[in-house]
Amino acid sequence: MRTPSRRLAALLLPLSLVLAHAAAAAPTVEDPALRTQITKLDNGMTVLTLEDHTTPVVSLQIWVHVGSRDESRYSGLAHLFEHMMFKGSKHIGPEQHARLLEARGGQVNAYTTQDVTVFHEDVPREALPLALDLEEERIANLDISEKTLTSERQVVLEERRLRTEDDPEGRAMEMLLATTFMAHPYRRPVIGWRSDVEKVGVEQCRRFFHTYYAPNNLVMVVVGDFDTAETLAHVRRVFGPLRPVKSIPRSPTEEPPQRGERRATVEFDVRSPSVWAAWHAPATGHPDGPALDVAGQILSGGRASRLYRDLVYQAQQALSADGGYWELQDAGLFYAEASVRPGASIDRVESLLFSEIARLRDAPVGAEELERAKRQLLVSLVNGLATNHALASRIGGDYVLLGRIRPLEERIAQLQAVTAADVQRVARTYLQDSGRSVVRLVPPAEAAAKAPPSAPGRRARKGSAR
Amino acid sequence: MIRSRVAWPLLVLLALGLGCAWLGPRPAWELPPPPVEDRPLVEPGRLHRARLENGLDVLVLEDHRLPRVTLGVTVRRGEASVPLERAGLAGYTAELMQRGAGKRDALALARSIEDLGAELSVGADWDSMTVEVSGLASDLDRLLEILADVALRPRFDPAEAAKARAERLAGLEAQKDDPKTLAAWNLARVLYPGHRFGLPLPGTPDTVRGLDAAAARAFHQRVFVARDAIVYGSGDLSAADFQRRVREGFGAWAPGEVPDPGPPPPTPAPPARRVVIVDRPDLVQAQIAFGHEGISRTDPQRYAVSLMNSVVGGGGFSSRLMERVRADAGLTYSVGSGFVLRRAPGPFVVQTFTRVPEARRVIDLVLSVLDRARTDPPTPKELRDAQSDAVGSFALGLETSDAIADALVGLDVYGLPQDALDTYRGRIRAVTTAETAQAALDHLHPERMGIVVVGPAKALRPQLEGLGPVEVVKP
Repeated sequence: MRTPSRRLAALLLPLSLVLAHAAAAAPTVEDPALRTQITKLDNGMTVLTLEDHTTPVVSLQIWVHVGSRDESRYSGLAHLFEHMMFKGSKHIGPEQHARLLEARGGQVNAYTTQDVTVFHEDVPREALPLALDLEEERIANLDISEKTLTSERQVVLEERRLRTEDDPEGRAMEMLLATTFMAHPYRRPVIGWRSDVEKVGVEQCRRFFHTYYAPNNLVMVVVGDFDTAETLAHVRRVFGPLRPVKSIPRSPTEEPPQRGERRATVEFDVRSPSVWAAWHAPATGHPDGPALDVAGQILSGGRASRLYRDLVYQAQQALSADGGYWELQDAGLFYAEASVRPGASIDRVESLLFSEIARLRDAPVGAEELERAKRQLLVSLVNGLATNHALASRIGGDYVLLGRIRPLEERIAQLQAVTAADVQRVARTYLQDSGRSVVRLVPPAEAAAKAPPSAPGRRARKGSAR
Repeated sequence: MIRSRVAWPLLVLLALGLGCAWLGPRPAWELPPPPVEDRPLVEPGRLHRARLENGLDVLVLEDHRLPRVTLGVTVRRGEASVPLERAGLAGYTAELMQRGAGKRDALALARSIEDLGAELSVGADWDSMTVEVSGLASDLDRLLEILADVALRPRFDPAEAAKARAERLAGLEAQKDDPKTLAAWNLARVLYPGHRFGLPLPGTPDTVRGLDAAAARAFHQRVFVARDAIVYGSGDLSAADFQRRVREGFGAWAPGEVPDPGPPPPTPAPPARRVVIVDRPDLVQAQIAFGHEGISRTDPQRYAVSLMNSVVGGGGFSSRLMERVRADAGLTYSVGSGFVLRRAPGPFVVQTFTRVPEARRVIDLVLSVLDRARTDPPTPKELRDAQSDAVGSFALGLETSDAIADALVGLDVYGLPQDALDTYRGRIRAVTTAETAQAALDHLHPERMGIVVVGPAKALRPQLEGLGPVEVVKP
């Protein structure tokens, strides 16, 4: 399957975007993603190439379709594995992958989410063959040894201390997901529970690698200054011999409907307590997505938005407030969060936050704020075309999670079609009080003041370092 | 002549390559790196500069790939020009500038920007302040009008000033929840007592309590002067048209006097090793910051210093610090060093974190890596890798016209040559191992660093014996 060439795309005028706006002239943008060439290797690996010679750099991304949702026993395995991919292979020593590319000016890193593990390399165009060969080498010949696992496990535990254990927001997020999802694997933190990261062994790592790091579970994205035919020939030569796996196991568990509000408290030594809430929302690609995005934008898209204006600016009770739609492959969330000004009341902030959610359900949003939110989302779509990296991320994400690359034109048309009635309908459908999960992050003294007398001891345990 | 000298090894390489073709070509990591072509950063005809009669500089970078524009006004003074007792005034002024300008109050201003899907930011750094708007090219007129209003005609409404002050005071308090911020603030205090660099960029509760609309208005009048400013635009606009519009919107701006940049910080800083523990009994991880005085943005040694730093701790996953502390020992997730470049010499800083019981081990490791950099300076291979990293990543950092315009304005703020981006790669390649060795001797002083550790004092204090005088403070 191939997408039309640039010339063809130019001839098919409706394919290019028209950014409609009542007051302004309508600028036209060509969506470069339309020129993406999709190639399937015989072993099932997908290669998405988008040639663009504007700047002499290339963004290479390897999307592995595995995330924390695919972990069956040891949480954090997908993320730990992302780290292990830098720890050496048959021909390349530990850390050398990154060093070789950095010595050519490349920027190398990786990230893991609930759904995917992505390895990304932004390199000067001269270094693309090196990046491709190094990617193949670690996928074909990764060396998972006890020694490297032992040291990398400590690195991951430091990352966990940094991002979760000593970070108030990390603590709250961990609790929010564990509270919102009762059954689905999204309840587990991507970085894993501490015990699992401590205990997972070389054997589990190897099995995980051979199950999920197979060519038929990989999507490669190349965007920027390269020659498509030459690069595809190179990719076929080095990645072609990789052997596919028969089947890729996925978790069968679906989240049952939530019946009633859930609440949890996290105690942490903070000056600024915070309140976090989440509602179940549809998975990525759902037709209600754009209306939920608009709702999020109306809540927190800038200083004219409702949450800033009401909670931060007028009531002066919150330091910041935020809300929006978060879409994942199997399920989505709508979240709202506010951090409390030191000295202000968390009860007051929570009731202000939820009254804004109620307002979305109870009355249609104003025409002016609807247009403003849509316009903001539209401009951010255009801004996303500015770098190879952003383009590669969009193309890769769409293809892996939706099986196709959504043209910008389609997304803009969906956005433009959102009405005030749509926003109210999705708010009523998804944002009911009985379907929310609420987490409060408060200092221990504040929690103790309200808790029954059996609480002491908790604090001492938390303070003891391992 | 030159050609024939190069041709022989090339032929040999080709022969080797062909010879191996039977077994498949050799992987790229076994081949010498291909030569990197230094393309010009900006094609001729895209960049335009002008200076108006009032001394205002105008810079335009045309880029018609996307229908968007970024417009800004930068003045070459910032928080470093603020007296110690008013610390935070530049940032406070920037905040108030976003809260009403021209005929619009705070909410009307926010709406006028956000109705366009555009963004407005006003920021204050140590050496500059910037007002920037970005949005669709079709909204150029309105964006430019808002830019001029915010830069030239902020309202400094007293009611807004009171709200903003309360918000900033609350924000200062809340920022203490972040261990990394606590480490940075306390390190600055250790390095620069009595100097503006010694207090946090946003000020302290004591100084912020004293700020009001009148102070912000006076500061704005002092630093937003045409002769010390640059207006820039990048994206889908025409240079001639933009310059004409800037002349209309900013031509009447008074030239003004270029304000004083503020006194330079004391040196050496600190004169002797000092250790501070910021007591946070609840933390399981110790945040650690090391520092002493560094170099200025215009220091003639800066290319050698930056390459030396890249080898020691600045270069992504490849640095000596990353190798020793993360890769070999698994003691941290991240460790990095950097010279903070300001008009006056800013600090050299190393930042990392580790589980509390390992704090001392990490501190000793970091100090030994810095010490070794003086006795075992960057090797020819390390320097070569750092050079090709700097040269190769140069284009990556300047992929968009917004980034290039930003870098050009940055040069201008510090009075650096306008062609400094074009000459950068050549200057990096020209640095020698003798120069990086000298840079390490001149600018690394582990024996008298300030060291700040944020975490539980009870567990940290006994570990830190013998490092130097230890002070324990509350956040």
